[in-house]
Amino acid sequence: MKSYEKGLWLFILLLTGSLMYAVFFLVPPAEGLGNLVRIAFFHIPVAWVSVLAFLVSAWYALRYLRRPQSRFDAISAESAKLGLIFVVLATVSGAMFSKLTWGAYWNWDPRQTTIFVLLLIYAAYLTLRSVIPDGQRRARVSAIYALFSFLTVPFLVFLIPRFYFSLHPSPLLNASCTIDMDPLMLRVLLASLVDVTCFYLTLLYHRVKEVHHHET
Amino acid sequence: MHVSLYRAIEAVFCKEMRISLRSRSSWLVVLMFALTTLSCVSLLMQGDVLSPRLAAAMIWVILFFSLLSGAGRGFADEEQMGTMTALSVYGTSQAVLFGKSLFMALLLMALAMVVLPIYLVLMDVAVFSLPVLLLTLLMGTYGMAMAGTLLSALMAGARVQNGLLPVLMLPVLLPVLLPAILLTAGCFSGETHGSYLVGIALYDAIMTAAASLLFDFLWYED
Repeated sequence: MKSYEKGLWLFILLLTGSLMYAVFFLVPPAEGLGNLVRIAFFHIPVAWVSVLAFLVSAWYALRYLRRPQSRFDAISAESAKLGLIFVVLATVSGAMFSKLTWGAYWNWDPRQTTIFVLLLIYAAYLTLRSVIPDGQRRARVSAIYALFSFLTVPFLVFLIPRFYFSLHPSPLLNASCTIDMDPLMLRVLLASLVDVTCFYLTLLYHRVKEVHHHET
Repeated sequence: MHVSLYRAIEAVFCKEMRISLRSRSSWLVVLMFALTTLSCVSLLMQGDVLSPRLAAAMIWVILFFSLLSGAGRGFADEEQMGTMTALSVYGTSQAVLFGKSLFMALLLMALAMVVLPIYLVLMDVAVFSLPVLLLTLLMGTYGMAMAGTLLSALMAGARVQNGLLPVLMLPVLLPVLLPAILLTAGCFSGETHGSYLVGIALYDAIMTAAASLLFDFLWYED
């Protein structure tokens, strides 16, 4: 492990530690949600990264199709693998929050549905990768699938809210583009977004280097 | 020899038709699969009357799984018969994709036309707006055929074929299935939401364009 990678891990560790402290001791209980709001500081960043990982995977799939390099394929595949873990964490933490506030683990809320579709896409993509033995064909085929399934996302974002009734708290940036949140909470939330994103990027970098090293 | 795209698509379409007429047994299996799924659902309901919404969801679940048992055949057959290389020498990517998927759409529509009346009779569902229902079926099966052809091309060479297509298909097809269920429920209850037809049509168009672009990468493998 290079020294800057070590430094990055140290930074993430320190940031996570101080965020833990902030979330449990500094952030005030929220109106209506009480102490349960603390789950949000884990749930929102994890959900964000699961979407980000999908975007990264699709972007590198596109780059692979334009210029077939094994590194692009490795980034796409590893990002999807990490994305699957994050999307499961987001789903589970969301379901727990849902049980504690709405009384049921799962009720096909629009956001639950969207994250579930994302989970399906990740799972299908990784299943497809696992059944194709030839490396080059696997890279090409899975890149095509990643891009093809990417098409559904904008549609579902418009469609799903029309089909299912929502109880989910409104997103951070609501319709009037104003941020409606306690300033301390907002700062902690933004820091946790940075923290989890850094964690994802560092893991991705590490995994891709390992896979690449293993291949060559 | 240079042929126009239209003629090339027609040639692939005719080839598909001739082959499937020759080997009727494979389509017989798909038909029997559809009828088995249908009777399974109907039998296990034990004659209960479903609400329009549930009846619509049920018919689309039946169609999804039974049609997919046929939609995956597109390239698996070529691979099995060892004719893939010949096809890739003679056919341009677009001709193969559209020839195959249009024929698939025709067959799936025909299958749906067999399944639907039986379903309506068995489940005792009244249809208020037949044209909307047929249009929904047409666009739904077209979407299935288009995505099915591309995905079955992706699956060629996979170690496991059984059951893979529905896994790959469900996330891609959700934007068709959800409005289709709503439209069908509308046809069963009497209040139709025509705007969803536009939505399905738009998604079908986008899927067609994307399949056409992406298929090139698969067909001209270097």
